[in-house]
Amino acid sequence: MSVFGARWCLAGLAVCVMAAGLSGCGKEDKNQEPVMAEEGTMGSYHQVLECAMGRRTLANPKFPDGDTYEDNAYTRYVMDKLNVRILDDFEANGEDYDRQVSLAIASGELPDALFIGSKDILDELVENELVEDLTDVYEDYASDYIKEIYDSYGGRCLDTATYDGRLMAIPGTNLDSAPCVAYVRQDWLEKTGLLVDEDNDHCLTIEELEQIARTFLEQDPGGSGNPVGLAFVPYLTADDYGGSGYTINAVTSAFRAFPKLWIRDKSGAVVYGSVTPEMKETLGQLAKWFGEGILDPQFGTRTWDDITALLTNNQLGIAFGPWHIPDWLLNNVKGMNPEAEFAAFTVCDQDGRVNVAHSNAGNGYMVVRKGYSNPEVIVKMLNLFFDDVVNHPDLEQEAPEVAAYISQGVDNSARPFQVEVNAYTSLLDDYADIKGCLNEEITMEQVRTAESKSIVESIRRYWAETEPEVNDWAKYTSRMCGIELIESLTKNEQFQWESPVFRGTTKTMKKSSASLGKMEEVFVGIVTGSIPLDGFDDFVADWKAQGGEKIMAEIEEALAGEQ
Amino acid sequence: MMIRKKGIMANLGTGVIYGIVILLGLICLLPMLNILAISFSGSDAAAANIVGFVPVKFTTAAYEKIMEDRQFWRSFGISVFRVGAGLVINLVLIVLMAYPLSKTKREFKGRSVYMGLLIFAMLFSGGMIPTYLVVKNLHLLNTVWALVLPGAVPIFSVIMVMNFFMGVPKSLEEAAVIDGATPLQVLTRVYIPCSKPVIATIALFSIVGNWNDFFGGLIYMTKVRNYPLQTYIQTLSVKLEDMLNSGGSLSSLINAMEVSSQNLNAAKIVVSVVPLLMIYPLLQRYLITGIVVGSVKE
Repeated sequence: MSVFGARWCLAGLAVCVMAAGLSGCGKEDKNQEPVMAEEGTMGSYHQVLECAMGRRTLANPKFPDGDTYEDNAYTRYVMDKLNVRILDDFEANGEDYDRQVSLAIASGELPDALFIGSKDILDELVENELVEDLTDVYEDYASDYIKEIYDSYGGRCLDTATYDGRLMAIPGTNLDSAPCVAYVRQDWLEKTGLLVDEDNDHCLTIEELEQIARTFLEQDPGGSGNPVGLAFVPYLTADDYGGSGYTINAVTSAFRAFPKLWIRDKSGAVVYGSVTPEMKETLGQLAKWFGEGILDPQFGTRTWDDITALLTNNQLGIAFGPWHIPDWLLNNVKGMNPEAEFAAFTVCDQDGRVNVAHSNAGNGYMVVRKGYSNPEVIVKMLNLFFDDVVNHPDLEQEAPEVAAYISQGVDNSARPFQVEVNAYTSLLDDYADIKGCLNEEITMEQVRTAESKSIVESIRRYWAETEPEVNDWAKYTSRMCGIELIESLTKNEQFQWESPVFRGTTKTMKKSSASLGKMEEVFVGIVTGSIPLDGFDDFVADWKAQGGEKIMAEIEEALAGEQ
Repeated sequence: MMIRKKGIMANLGTGVIYGIVILLGLICLLPMLNILAISFSGSDAAAANIVGFVPVKFTTAAYEKIMEDRQFWRSFGISVFRVGAGLVINLVLIVLMAYPLSKTKREFKGRSVYMGLLIFAMLFSGGMIPTYLVVKNLHLLNTVWALVLPGAVPIFSVIMVMNFFMGVPKSLEEAAVIDGATPLQVLTRVYIPCSKPVIATIALFSIVGNWNDFFGGLIYMTKVRNYPLQTYIQTLSVKLEDMLNSGGSLSSLINAMEVSSQNLNAAKIVVSVVPLLMIYPLLQRYLITGIVVGSVKE
C-alpha cells in the first residue's frame, strides 16, 4: 500500500470515529407513561401534557401582535381547557412543510402529532408503522356531534384514512363543491343585448356558451381591442371542483365526461374518465372552438396568471372555477373595472342535467406518532375546535380571545388541529342562514357561525352603499350568485351525481402514474389541431398498454376484495 | 485614405461592440426597472400585467405594508447578522487555510493530503439529509450558526486565494524573514496587504452567497421567526394556483391572496436587493483583478 493510500485510510478512520462519537450523543426515550385525565370527551389532564407538533403554516396568518403559531389564542385555549401545552417541533409553509416532514421521518424523530397533507405520505407512515392506530380513541373520545359530522359523509370520509379496518389518522372533510361555475360578465351580456338562459335556471347549453363567447369575441364589449372568447389552462382538467379554476370541468359536464376520476362505465366496468369516448367528444368540441377562433388562439402557452390578466384587462368575459373565485380572483377584475358584474352559470347536457362527481371526502390528515403516551389528545382537540368552539353558547364571554380570532379572520392554520371538519351539508346550511337573515326571516343571533354573520354584514353594506368596497362585492357575488347557483341546482334536482369508485393508489399506479399523466398532455395537441381528433384513440391504446389496463384490473380486484 | 478607412472600420467595430454591451446591459437592467415600477403600482394593475417601466396607479401601499411587517425586519436583522458573522469566519478560515497550502510540498509536508481532502469535499458533498442530521445532532437547528458553519470554508475561494498567494514574489517573504518576522507576521504584514484584490473578491462572494441563500434557512430553521430574509421572502410568494389545486380552504386562499399580490412581491424584492446594490460598487473595482490575477502562477 502506498503512503498516500495509508493516509487516506487514516483520514477515513478519523471520520468513522467522529461519526461514532456523534451518534453516541444521547437520544432520550420519548415514550413516557400516559398522563391521567378527567373523564369525558374533553377531560382536562391532571398534569400538563406536552404535545410536540409539526405545524403547516401560512404566509399571512394575521396574528395579533406578539402571537405566534406556538403561542396564540387557540393554543392558550387548549392549555386552558385540556391542560395541554403545544410545542412546535417545526413550522413551515406548503411544500417546505412536506420537506420538513420527510426530514423528520428520515431522522426517525416524528413529532407527537402532526398534519399530513398527502395520502402518499400517510401511506408511507402507515406501512412503516410510524403512526398510532386511532380506531379506539376515536370511538371512545369523539363527541356525538363530531361523529354526526363524519357520518354525514356516510363513511366516505373516514374511509380515506382507514387501513385494513383500522383508523390510522383523523381525516379532514371535503364537502362536494360541484359544479365548476362559469362566471360571465353580466354587464357585457346587457351591453350586447344577448339573450341566453331564457328559463333562468342558470344552466347554459354548450350552444349558449358558444354563443356568449362568440358575441364577446365579435363585439368586444370590454373595448380592449384584443378580445378572447374562452381561455383554459394547459392542464385542462382537475380531479376536484375545488381545483377547477380555469379548467374545462364545466364543459366536460355537458358531455358526461369525468376526467382524472375512476368511474364505472355503462357496462359496469371500472374505467379512467380521461380515456372515455365522452372525453373524446369534449376534446372534439374544444378543437372545433379552437379552429373557429372562439377558444384562445394562444391556448397551450397561456398560464394561470396570463388568464387572470386577460380577465382584468377586459379581454375575457368568462371565468371558470369553484364558486368562491370572486373572493380572491375576480376581486382584482372588479378593482380595475368598477363596472364589472358577474353572473354565475354552469353548463348542462342536452337533457338539462348537470353531470358532476362526488369529491374525495378526505382532505388532509392529523396523525399521532407511534408510541406517544396520550394519543387521545388529538381527538380531544378535534372535539374542542369543531364541537365546543362551534357550538359554544357564549364564546365571547368565556373565551373572548378565541372569538376575536374568528371575527378578525386569523387564519385557521393557527389551530393546532390543522384540518377542517365540517358537515357534508354545511355549505348550503350556512347559505340558508345567510339568505334567511338577509330576508329577515331569522335574526342575526340565530345565524349559526361567526363567518356567516360577517358575510351577512358585508352583503348588507354592499346593498346600502353607493360605492361599495370590492371585498363586500366579492362576498355578495360568491354567495348570492355562486352558492345560490348550487342551491338552485340542488333544489331543482338538476345534478346528476357520479360516484368515483376508487381514490387510492395501486401498485402499478405508484410506478407509472407519472408517465401516464404525462401522456395526457396529448390533449393540448388535439385541441390545437396539431394532432387529429382520432389521435385520441391511439392515446387510449397507448395508455392502456403502458399500465392503464393493469391499473384497471388492480382496481377491479381491490373493489371485489372490499365486498 | 487607407488610414482613414481603417479608422472608420475600427470605429464601426467599437460601435458594434458598444452596441452589444449596451444591449446586454439593458437586458440586465430592464427587468429590475420593471420590478421597481410594479412595486409602486396598484395591486390590480400589477395583476393585470399592464405595468411596463412606469408605475400604473402610483401607490406606496406595498412599501407601507412591508414597514408594518415585523417578521420582515426580524428576518432582515438575522440576514445582516448572518452576513457579518459569515464574512468574518469565512475570511479568517480561508486565509489561514490558503497560506500554508500556498507553500511547496517541501516546505509543508502533507500538503497533498490536505489538498486531496479539499478537492474531494469540493466535488462530492454529503447530501441534504446526512448534512441535516449532522447539524441537528450538533444542536445547531434554529440558530444562525446552522447557516454559517456548514459553509465556513468555501473551498473554491480557498483555492483562489491560494493561487493568488503563490503569485506573490518569494523575495518579499524572504526579506521579511531576514528582518525577523514570524510566519504569522509574514502573513498579516506581507501577504494580506499584497492580496487586497482577491480578498475583496472572496469577501464579495461570501456576502452575496450568504445574503442570497434561502435554502439553508428552509432546512435548518424549523420556525418562521428564525428565517433569514431570503427564506422569508420565498415563503411569501405563494402561487394561488398551486394552493387551490392542493385543496387550500377559502379562508387561507383569501389570506394568501392578500400577500401574494405582485406589487407586494416586487416591493419585497426591491427592499431585499438594496443592501447588495449598496455594497457592490464598493468592492467591484477589485473584483475583476482579483479573479484574473489569481490564476497567474509564478
